[in-house]
Amino acid sequence: MSERFSRATGTSLVGGAESHTSRSLTAMLGTVAGMAAVLALFPLWLGDSRVLMGVAILGLAFASYAIGFNLIFGSTGQLFLCVGALAGVGGYSATILADRAGLPVLVSILAATLLAGVTGGLLSWIAVRRSLGVIFTGIVTLIFALSFENLLLGLSGVTGGDAGLQIGAGSGTFLREQIAPYYLMLALVVVFLIVHGLLRRSHVGWAFRALRDDEVAAELAGIDVARYRVYGALVGAAMLGMAGATYAFTAGRVSPTTFGFAQVDVVVIVMLAFGGIGTLLGPILGAVVFTAIDEVLIEFGQLRLLAYGVLIIVLFLWIRRGMIPTLRALIGRRGGPPNRRDTTAAHTPSTGPG
Amino acid sequence: MTASILDGIVLGLQFGVLATGLTLVYGLGGVLNLAYGQMAVISAMVVLLAMDAGVPLLAAVGLGLLAGGLLGLLLDVTILRPVYRLQGEARVLLSLLLSLGVAFIVDGFLNWRFPLRGLSLRVGGEAVEILGVRMRTGSLVASGITLLVLAVLFYLFRFTRLGRAIRSVIENEEGARLVGIDPHHMLRIILVLSGVLAAIVAVTRSMVAPVNVRAGFSITVLALIVTVVGGLGSISGAFLAGLVLGIINSIASAYIGTFLSLIILLVAAALTILIRPAGLLGVRE
Repeated sequence: MSERFSRATGTSLVGGAESHTSRSLTAMLGTVAGMAAVLALFPLWLGDSRVLMGVAILGLAFASYAIGFNLIFGSTGQLFLCVGALAGVGGYSATILADRAGLPVLVSILAATLLAGVTGGLLSWIAVRRSLGVIFTGIVTLIFALSFENLLLGLSGVTGGDAGLQIGAGSGTFLREQIAPYYLMLALVVVFLIVHGLLRRSHVGWAFRALRDDEVAAELAGIDVARYRVYGALVGAAMLGMAGATYAFTAGRVSPTTFGFAQVDVVVIVMLAFGGIGTLLGPILGAVVFTAIDEVLIEFGQLRLLAYGVLIIVLFLWIRRGMIPTLRALIGRRGGPPNRRDTTAAHTPSTGPG
Repeated sequence: MTASILDGIVLGLQFGVLATGLTLVYGLGGVLNLAYGQMAVISAMVVLLAMDAGVPLLAAVGLGLLAGGLLGLLLDVTILRPVYRLQGEARVLLSLLLSLGVAFIVDGFLNWRFPLRGLSLRVGGEAVEILGVRMRTGSLVASGITLLVLAVLFYLFRFTRLGRAIRSVIENEEGARLVGIDPHHMLRIILVLSGVLAAIVAVTRSMVAPVNVRAGFSITVLALIVTVVGGLGSISGAFLAGLVLGIINSIASAYIGTFLSLIILLVAAALTILIRPAGLLGVRE
């Protein structure tokens, strides 16, 4: 029963921008490179201010989270409400491995990535095994996120409780400089985008699309739906863990609020919904816009929460497909490249000759 | 041990009322209301402000219940309109996201306007001894009210036409429509009832511990856990799960520590979903 409903979900919330993926490899790489070039210029503008650079670095961390969540939810239709928790698994384990066990920073980031990936894969495996629908997957992952937050608060001997942990490893290196970490996080964003872009172009991407459009049909066509779901969650969660761990080292501390549900998951959902769920560059557009909006709203304290509530409602009621598909539709209507119109025309049943 | 179990029963009954408000709306309308805890908090704030303004206690509580019911009605006529146009999981998902938005609006507003406020009703009188355990009057009054609510709910759903109509919609919406019951009308009534139940929980809870402005999210999570364990859409499941989880929670916080007790509740909910997805007394669709 739930499988049939997931089809309706796919069409209503996940943007239909997938025709985009049939573009050539060079076009995809070119788009990513262009985006990276624009983002690479930000420090020229903000570089003098330590505070604003910190905001920009956090913005890139959110962009990476949004890419990971986009891969899991947008591409394979699994509602993971534990984005912050998976990033936290990465951030905290990397901190503990580097500071307590004395491992090199790079090794601890890689180990943290692996741990987060396995955790996400395991959650997905459980959800797939028990054939949980979108809602129950959401509830189970939310439960995981809340338990993780409580463990962080409770096991204060290991995690530092409410105050969190100061990170010793990496201090004095480029990781704590004003501008270098920005480019490190940007590199991460670019790598994640390329990985997601390549996945979408490969046979894995075809499988993702098929299982998202119609799970039953995909299963009948011989696609191992369960396996691709778990793969998607594994890769996406590994991205979340790596981003969380890397961000932790640049920030120099981790705390429960760094990875909290209200602080991370809600923001990531808003960013992705704004940019366009299931699109390649949606996470970036959303992250840039909302980091800027957040910086403006921060002066308003609690009213920021209120503004987020209004934004969530507006986004899901009126621009449900997100900005990128909406913008593309607008551009297409005003005489965009003719071949695009041809492809849309080919999908609609022709009413007359020609 | 007896003390923990008695405490657990007091808590469990409240869990039951709390989850009933969430589970009915889900079972009847496929709407998962994540602003549920905020409805309770707003009602608590209404009681608090009314008492500040000099309204007598009972009248203030009445205003709080009224506020809860109106909030349910308000949700029904505003953001849930577009939700009703969808079906199945898409409907649940949209209701979940929109009500999360509402929850943030309410939290943001209350934290901005009334930071650090909390409702705490003092019910006077001596502590009473039950089974060799001294119970605070507040807990007993709260349990008394909760049992009364339980009785009213039981009567409503067993013996009245309205209750039967509501149950028939939960069981088979199409069938109910065929015999002349309007599911949307029933859903509106249930949303109002859900708001009133949230308000009752806020009031009874404030007799045991303060209900503060920030409590919304944790109340929603508790309701969600109990609902999931009891079975989405089942009132008796909600009460059974409430009692079981209430007792587990009290024993866990007495013997293991409070931070683990919430994790134990969360794990109980996760295990229920994995082992018996329909919940203790739910019917698998």
